[in-house]
Order: sequence, then structure tokens, then C-alpha cells
Amino acid sequence: MAAGFKTAEPLEYHRSFLKENCRSDGRELSEFRTTTLNIGSISTSDGSALVKIGNTTVICGIKAELANPTVESPGKGYMVPNVDLPPLCSSRFQAGPPGEQAQAASQFIVDVIESSEMIQTEDLCIERGKLCWVLYCDLMCLDYDGNVLDACIIALLAALKNTQLPEVKINTETCLPEVTSEKKHRLKIYRHPVGASFGIFDDSILIIDPTAEEEILLTAQLTVVTDEEGRLCSVHKPGGTSLSGEKLQECITRATTRQKEIQKLIDKVIESVKTAQ
Amino acid sequence: MTSFTCDESVSLCEGNMMEVCGSTDSCLREFGCEQSLLSRPDGSASFVQGDTSVLAGVYGPAEVKVSKEIYDRATLEVLVQPKVGLPTVKERSQEQCVRETCEASLLLTLHPRSSLTLVLQVLHDDGSLLSCSLNAACMALMDAGLPMSCLFCGVTCAIDADGRIITDPTAAQEKESRALLTFAVDSTERKVLMSSTRGSFSVHELQQCIAVSQKASEKIFQFYRDSVRRRYSKTL
Amino acid sequence: MKDTLLSNCERDFLLKAIEEKKRLDGRQTYDYRKIKITFGTDYGCCYVDLGKTRVMAQVSCELVAPKENRPNEGIMFFNIELSPLASPIFEQGRQSELSVKLNRQLERCLRNSKCIDTESLCVVSGEKVWQIRVDVHMLNHDGNLMDAASIAAITALCHFRRPDIAVQGEEVTVYSPEERDPIALSIYHMPISVSFSFFQQGTYLLVDPCEREERVMDGLLMIAMNKHREICSVQSSGGIMLLKEQVLRCSKIASVKVSEITELISKALENDKKARKAGGRCGFAESLPQERITALKMDEMPVEVTDVTEQAYDIIQKTKEPPQTVPSPLVPAPGVGQVDQGQQNTWGLEEEEEEREDGVEEEAVMEVEQQKEEESKGNIVEISDSEEEEVIILHPETPDTLHKSSCHQQGSATSKKKHKK
Repeated sequence: MAAGFKTAEPLEYHRSFLKENCRSDGRELSEFRTTTLNIGSISTSDGSALVKIGNTTVICGIKAELANPTVESPGKGYMVPNVDLPPLCSSRFQAGPPGEQAQAASQFIVDVIESSEMIQTEDLCIERGKLCWVLYCDLMCLDYDGNVLDACIIALLAALKNTQLPEVKINTETCLPEVTSEKKHRLKIYRHPVGASFGIFDDSILIIDPTAEEEILLTAQLTVVTDEEGRLCSVHKPGGTSLSGEKLQECITRATTRQKEIQKLIDKVIESVKTAQ
Repeated sequence: MTSFTCDESVSLCEGNMMEVCGSTDSCLREFGCEQSLLSRPDGSASFVQGDTSVLAGVYGPAEVKVSKEIYDRATLEVLVQPKVGLPTVKERSQEQCVRETCEASLLLTLHPRSSLTLVLQVLHDDGSLLSCSLNAACMALMDAGLPMSCLFCGVTCAIDADGRIITDPTAAQEKESRALLTFAVDSTERKVLMSSTRGSFSVHELQQCIAVSQKASEKIFQFYRDSVRRRYSKTL
Repeated sequence: MKDTLLSNCERDFLLKAIEEKKRLDGRQTYDYRKIKITFGTDYGCCYVDLGKTRVMAQVSCELVAPKENRPNEGIMFFNIELSPLASPIFEQGRQSELSVKLNRQLERCLRNSKCIDTESLCVVSGEKVWQIRVDVHMLNHDGNLMDAASIAAITALCHFRRPDIAVQGEEVTVYSPEERDPIALSIYHMPISVSFSFFQQGTYLLVDPCEREERVMDGLLMIAMNKHREICSVQSSGGIMLLKEQVLRCSKIASVKVSEITELISKALENDKKARKAGGRCGFAESLPQERITALKMDEMPVEVTDVTEQAYDIIQKTKEPPQTVPSPLVPAPGVGQVDQGQQNTWGLEEEEEEREDGVEEEAVMEVEQQKEEESKGNIVEISDSEEEEVIILHPETPDTLHKSSCHQQGSATSKKKHKK
């Protein structure tokens, strides 16, 4: 009965839950789904992480390559993040070139990396003007159940924290780079940006961490990214119904709490890996 | 060409109780707008903010492709054309911002199973490009005579190294800034329709920027009103 | 979007008018529409209005590696963009027949005619050359896009200035316009395309067809020529047979038109140069027509921001402070962690009571957090039947831990059952 009602009148179905201040999956309005993090899931990559928020699953693999620095910034390495939403993760995506949502998500990740200054690209430079690291950060969604941006940021952050780069020296005689795979050092992460996504239902009700079902019905979406010092790295609201400054402030408060939780989670997991070794 | 200075019109305000307090360097560059300048689109407008300029054209409501048809409302497509080269991921994310803002203000349910196409051509980028695109889009939608629930306008604020807020920054000011925030504000409640940010900033700075944008939006809406009044002055 | 078809009676009317040597806009057979050339704020940006047809060209440059077979030559790249702004039938990102045709013609007109000295664009032979890119955007399509595009492209190329460079050994320094004045391209001549449309199998001829005329024409002849009356390219399309005399007559008309247009371009360039020298503004704000009723300009104005700080402060004050402490996450196995929020509390009563005692110390902690702490203390892998969560955590292959955690699962399951009873 309920399933039929849900299919025929999805909006009405969700409304009836929201009226009682809860959601169809039993959460409260300001509750996140269970977030699970696994670090080092891809053993062949230089750094990787798998994140699950409820059913939404995002895997991030980091591949470091040696390259020539760009002419404009000879003293810097660079990062190439890419978000992939393959048809595998949801029936709403088609095969072929990345769709608008995937492109917008990629751009969002690029913006977050730049704005938060989580990594100093100077650290990636090996020899000025000659050699630097390029970090290819591939984020792939394995199961799309809403709120993919939050999952992407967590996966990226955890994977970067997990990344180990081998030591590279340029041989002065041959002018060729020499890689010592035994000596590895971790990437320095300066900031820990974590996102919290919100949705606005029926122009007024604010919910957190929307599922895919809810996302379709939302009238607006908002993602707030904060770092450990409580600074905002991104307040991304691509459009939709309007939001007052007061409501926005509530979202920010919630986002800062979320940041603390997730940072703790990442730290703990990294620590557990270290002790296991 | 000429550098933009607005030292005279600085209104200083000290946030006496906050540790983060910056004066605000608030001034909008000269605005210009021309509507119905193209013969082919159903609605067109060019919007000029200082040297930044965007041309917008709207086609529709018209026949929609079956694959894009939505049964209860019109399909809005927004295309941003850069000046040099082909659209990149950056343009895609701008398209998303403009489209969702327009979707919120347009009454799309009045034209079910039809298509609306909004094309934005960048003519010159000298800072505040996204807000100029939003303003051009709104004027073009008005020119096309599409029913809307409210108008919207875009305001860009830059926060410089000293924490000062600069509204409607030029490209040079954008480059020097520590953070850049663009908001779309609606005309009915002056709430935030869209927000897109770059750089990191504090909560207080964000709220200040929103408040500044809301103030600036008054001026822009007044400009909208004046230009529409001028346009229909002979017919009414 | 599909194109609207032209009705038969409109088609007949147009053809009848052409037979009577009349054109819809009142022009004579050999007349061009009004040409207006304006420049953008930066170098190499040019707008051409040809009647209602409007085109924008932008030239840009970049240092690239040269082609292998021509190590001493710069690269010219042309791109005509049929933007959906110009006409609803144009689609973004798709190569239509028309766009291929226009691109080919522009390349033949400007690249193959060797009007630009590509050798002067060489920086380091075989290593670095300038690539000059010309993007032509169609803004409004009212016929004769080719002529407008060719005028815009060549004017923009004349107007363009590339940054100055210095080569020292292997290092190439690019100077910004503030450091050294940018350099103009060396252009030998200016080829301009002139279009002729033919009607009734070549009986009638019109110069500069508008969009309506293009729809009813039988064939099109495009002649690209410079002011020295040298033909750079001739292209006939539409499948009409033309007599030798017809082509010759067209080339004569073209020579007249080309010299007129060349003069206009030089004048426009000169005017712009003067304006730039005088230091006046030449941006878009200046090119906006003031007299038109559809246009309005507003001067620079300040924004009143006196109470902004207070307003922002108020908003921040009104909202609750975020909690200072957050719960510890659950780490069931090395490399795996979990923060749990969205589940109902289904844990056993005994544990909850235990928790209460601990919880007294941190009263400010949110309720959800308490849940979390309980979990981390109990170290229970949650197996609630909620539909959204079916996590199977892959433990590393140490049989010991595997055994332990399965015990935990059993333990939790039984405790839950008890509670339910």
C-alpha cells in the first residue's frame, strides 16, 4: 500500500513524513545517514578511500605521476580531480561523455581544493621548472543515492591523507629523475574541508543529506564546506528557491559540527591503519 | 580601459564588537542595458557592468525534443558561450547556476511540454562575470515576456587581503582578492537564490556580503525598473 | 529546435519581387546593407553589424610547438561558432553542414591566401611558435554570414596585438602589455568575401542576400578578393551552372565592393587607434546606443552599507552555537571507520543506563552524540533492519578479528531480541 502511494504520489508521500518532523527512512530532518569510511581500498593506487553515506558510495583513487610544471607556475605541481558518475551508479546517468551533473561536480571539487588550500601545490614541485608531481584524483560514484558531493569531498580528503609519494631526486649527471620507492613520505594536508549538503523541500522545509528520491523533489540544494577553523570554503547553492541569511546560518552551524565529526573519523581510521601496520 | 576607482564613496563602518571587521568599499560600476537588440531571438538583452559585458538571447516557448520533454512544465536550457574556444567545465557550472536560478523565478508550469533556450554570450570579462550573466539573463527573460514569479539580480562581492568588501569587482580586483562571493537575490523578499563562492572566508564575512548584496540589489532592481519604464514610456 | 518553414505564398512573393528588381528592404540589386564595425575593450575583438546580421570575432594567441613539416611558421586557427543565439536551428557542439562550409571558406579566404606573415610568428625554430586563434561567433543570423564573418575576422586580425617576447638562449620571456607594448601582426593584404545569390537558375543576381532571400535562392557564389583586385578564392554552391560572363561580372562587382569595405575597415581601425591614444574609453559601455528607447545607462553609484556589520552580527548571534564536542567514530577494523547518525536508538536498556552515568559530565552534548558514544563503547556492529543501510565491512584477513566481530554481531542481535520481547 505504502509502496503504491510512494510511486504514485512521491511528493505527497514525503510531505506526510515531513509533517511529523521525520523522513521516510526514519531519520530526523537534521540527521545524516551512517557514514562509513575505508582507507586504502585500492592497493595499487598511491592513495585511495571508499566512502559510504547511507547507500551512496564513492571511491577515490589517487595516481601520482611525474610531469613538467606548467610555464605559468614553474614552482608548482598540480592536481587533476575528476568526478565520474557512470551509468553503473544510477539509471539516471547515461554512458558516454560526462553529463552536466558530473561536470558541475568536478568543477565543484576543483573549487573546493583551490579555495580550501588543503594542499600547497608548491609541495608537489620536485625541481623548479623541470619536474613536479601531478595528482590525478579520480572520484567514481559506485552507487548514487543522493548527496554525492559530500561523499566526494570526504573520499578525496581521506585519499589524500592516505597518499604516500616516493622520494624523487634528479641525478645530476644524467639529468634523469631517480625514484626511491622504499622511501615514501606522506602528503602534507593543511586544511580539512568537509561538506554538508542540505535540501529545501516545498520552498520552506530544510532537510540535511537528501537521498536520491528526495533530491528529485527538492526545490533547492545547498552545500556548505567548512574547514577545521570554522572558515567557509564554499557556500554552493546553484539556484532554486531562496534562502534567508538566518536559515543559511543554521546550515553553517550544522556544517561545522559535521566537519568535526568527519575529521575525527578520518583521523581515527588513519590511526587505526598505522597501528595495524 | 580606465581603471575604476571609488575612494570617495567609501562608507566606513567599524564592527566594534567583532574581531573580524573590515570596512566596506561598496560601489557599483556604471551599468548599461539594451533590450531587444537582436532580431532573431524572442527576447534579447545585453548587460554592461563597467567593462564586463554579456549578451543574452531567449528562444521559446517552442517545440521540445521528446527526450527532454517534462510533462508538467517547460524545459529550460541554458548555454554559456565563452569568448575564446569551446565551453569547458567552468562554463557548465555557470550554466547550472544560471539555469537553476531562472527555474526558480520563471513560472515554468504555465508552459508544459515546451522548451525555453537561454543563450549567454560573453562579450568581455572584466570581473563579476557571473553576476553580469545573471542580470543579462533576467533582462532577456523580461524582454521575451515570459511569466515570472519574481525578478532576480546578481551581485559579486570580493574580500581583499585586508578584509574589506568590494562590490562589483573588476578582474584586477578579483585577482587580488582573498575570496569571491556571487549571490543572486530575488526581488520579492531579497533572499539568496543562488550562491557561488571561491576562496575561504569567515561566517561573519559571508553574512556581511549577503547583507551588502541585498543592499546593492535594491539599486539594480531600481535600474531594471527604470529601463523597463523608459522602454515602454511611449506605449503606455 | 526545428526551423519554421517558409510558406509557398511568401516564397512566390519574394521571387516575384526579385523579378521586378525589388528587394524587401528597399535595396538595389548590388547594394550592401549598412555595415558597422565596432571594437571591444581589448585588442583583437571586433563586432560587425551587416544589417541585422551580427558577428563577433576575437583573436587570441598562445605559444605552441610548430607543425613538424613547417618548423619556422606560426599556426593560424579559425573557428566559426554557429551559436544557438544566432538562430534556433543552430545547435551547440554539433558540426553542421553549414558550419563546415563556412569554416572551409574562411580558411581559404584568410589562411590559404597567405595574407598573414606566418614566418614572423616563429619564436624558436622547431620549438615554439605563436598560434593565432580566431574565434568568430555568430550572434544574430539574418543572412550572408560569410561576408560578415570574413570582415570581422580580418578586422580583428588587423586590430590584434600579440605580447612582445624576448629569447635568451632557451628561455622565452613573455612581456605583459604594461612592460612592453604589444606587437601587431604583419598582414600583407586583406581578403574580403563577397556573396552573390542567384535566382531562377541564374537569371537574377543579388549582392548580400538577407536571410529570406537565402531561403529562396538557387545558388550562391562567394568571391574572396583583396583591394589589389586579386582573387583569393571562388566558391560556387547550390549546383547552378554559371556562364563565364556571369562570373566575370561578379568579380567586377566584387572588386568595387571590396575596395569600399577595405576603406571602411581602415577608417574604423584608424578611429579606434586615435581613441585609444587619446586615452578615452572604448569599452562596451561607450558603444551602447544612448538615444535608443530600449537602452539605459546608469552611472557608477555607491551602495549604502552602514548597518551591514550589525545585521550580519545579529544573524550570527541569533543562531545556536555549534556543540564543541563531537562523538568518536567507530573503528571496527583497521582502515575502516563509521559515524552513525541516522539510526533510531535500538540498543539495549542496560547499556543506555550505563551511558547516562557517563553522560552527566557532558550535558551539552547532543542526543545523537550520546548514541554514538554508546556504540563506540559497546563496539557493536550495528545490524538494524533499516532499508538504507546494509553495510558489510570487509575485515582484513586476520581470522582472529573476524571471529571477534562475528561474536559481537551475535551478541548485539541477541540483546536486541531480548529487548523486543
